[in-house]
Amino acid sequence: MTAAGYARTLDLVTRVRGVRGAMLVSSDDGLVVAEHLMEGIKGSAVAALAASLANRLRRAMVAAGVGASVFWHLQCEQGALLVVPAASAIIVVAVAEPDVNVGLVRLELLRAAEAV
Amino acid sequence: MTTRAVEAWTLQPLVKFTKEAEARLVLLMTSAGQVMAQHGFSRAVEVMSAAALGAAIIASTAEMAKELKQPPFAALSHQGERHGIFLAGFGTPRGMLVALVVYDIEVSSVGLVQLFFEQFVADLQAACPKEGVPKQVLAADFERELSDSLKTLFGR
Amino acid sequence: MADEIKTLSAELARDPHSLVFLRLGDLLRQRGQLDAAHRVALNGLERHPHLADAHDLYARILADKRDYERAFDEWDMARRIAPGHMGALKGLAFLYFKVGDVAQAVAHLEEAERVAPDDFNIQQALAMVRGQPMGSAAARTSGHGGLQPGSPSAPSAASTPSTPPPAPLPPPPAVAEEPMAPPAGPLEDRRVFAGLEGAQEGLLLLDAAGRVLGGALRDWNGADVTEAVAAYLAGVSLEAGRTAKLLGLGAWTGLAAEGQLGHIHLAQPGPDALLLLVRDRSVPMGRLAIIAQRAAMTARRWLEQQA
Repeated sequence: MTAAGYARTLDLVTRVRGVRGAMLVSSDDGLVVAEHLMEGIKGSAVAALAASLANRLRRAMVAAGVGASVFWHLQCEQGALLVVPAASAIIVVAVAEPDVNVGLVRLELLRAAEAV
Repeated sequence: MTTRAVEAWTLQPLVKFTKEAEARLVLLMTSAGQVMAQHGFSRAVEVMSAAALGAAIIASTAEMAKELKQPPFAALSHQGERHGIFLAGFGTPRGMLVALVVYDIEVSSVGLVQLFFEQFVADLQAACPKEGVPKQVLAADFERELSDSLKTLFGR
Repeated sequence: MADEIKTLSAELARDPHSLVFLRLGDLLRQRGQLDAAHRVALNGLERHPHLADAHDLYARILADKRDYERAFDEWDMARRIAPGHMGALKGLAFLYFKVGDVAQAVAHLEEAERVAPDDFNIQQALAMVRGQPMGSAAARTSGHGGLQPGSPSAPSAASTPSTPPPAPLPPPPAVAEEPMAPPAGPLEDRRVFAGLEGAQEGLLLLDAAGRVLGGALRDWNGADVTEAVAAYLAGVSLEAGRTAKLLGLGAWTGLAAEGQLGHIHLAQPGPDALLLLVRDRSVPMGRLAIIAQRAAMTARRWLEQQA
């Protein structure tokens, strides 16, 4: 996929009301592959932390016998992080407002993960 | 894992950084390879080798940058099967310092190391004494200086 | 033992370069005379700095003194000198498991297994760390499980720390007479979740260090995975907290995840507690959140009673 293709994919995620940014992140090294973020969001921090949490969560889920994660959602008082693992060790990440429509963001993230 | 510093002002930022980045080994040195602080090394000979290699790599890449007529490279990163290394130089009131970070890829990542490295540099710059320039280590004193530093770093 | 200590001390006094310091230091350690053991080990190390067994002995004493950082360094050194040193591999595995780094604990135990493929203790420890069924009640221990000294799956007394386990938290009321972790065999309900839907399985209450306070987990094959999952979840919780804080999202209130075979929901019923709910994929995520919320309230009440 080209850089323009990544941008289009992320743009669809950020169109959901309440989403403040979307990114493609390399899950192995926690680096940004592509990003579409509102001002004030530090992409490198989101990438590093989301990848680290994704890796730890994956190990816990495998140990629990529920298999690798398909989608996860970190709910916080002032926002949320929503993540879908894609192929090629990429994760698709959305940073959102706390009252975002989780179902809708999940669908867009799954579509984006398929497109990557 | 032990963290020791030759220059006391480097200790707190280093302890914080190693904890946050979950680094396995960290070496803080001058661009000449003089060690200022270390975390995780258990033998003096390893510190000496790592400091010499780290300083040499930074010097080599700085020369390559000169050839390309651009500022020195900010950082260098390699990822192996189990460990990654991150090597970067940065300015302080005491001159340029170099940090060598080794991390376990199961525990940390280059993204996390980079993220917390920015804060580490800021913490060091804030903690660095503004007065007094460190004395140059002359060749004749080098061995004694090195020996003193290693004694401090390993408490022996 | 006292006679042997006297004999070995006399022998060491006659010949300070003798290797009997290894046996003497370990006997003193086993008797709890840690300061004396420490002196013997250090003197021995000064004379035999390249002897892996000397670093191993010193590491065991440090671990007994709960100086885990230096114990790690010494076992690391023993392993550098002798890469296949069993005491060092088991000791490092023990320390990694103690801090919740199960992957590293497994890696070190696997290495030990390659060195000694017939060592049943290592196989047991590996099975326990990986969360596989042990087939033996004696193989299960509380807290950090089979890697703890004293259990059959722990390294032998001659090559491991006899570090006591971390002080256990008060057990849930209904199981006050039980050990912290459930015994092998059918997992029992804990009163902390009594009356809740699916309380018999798929609910787990932990402290911040990943120690089980109540509940139990089995994977789809029926294997008890309580301890392994607990160890991983402590790391997940720390990372979730750090992520939320550094990204300016405020405190985290929940972590919901869909897996290929099931769903999980992680919540914080208290500042130092974690609650995990696991269900198969037939339970929708929204319903899971509601069940988790109820379980969190119950757990919170129980935790407050313990305070």
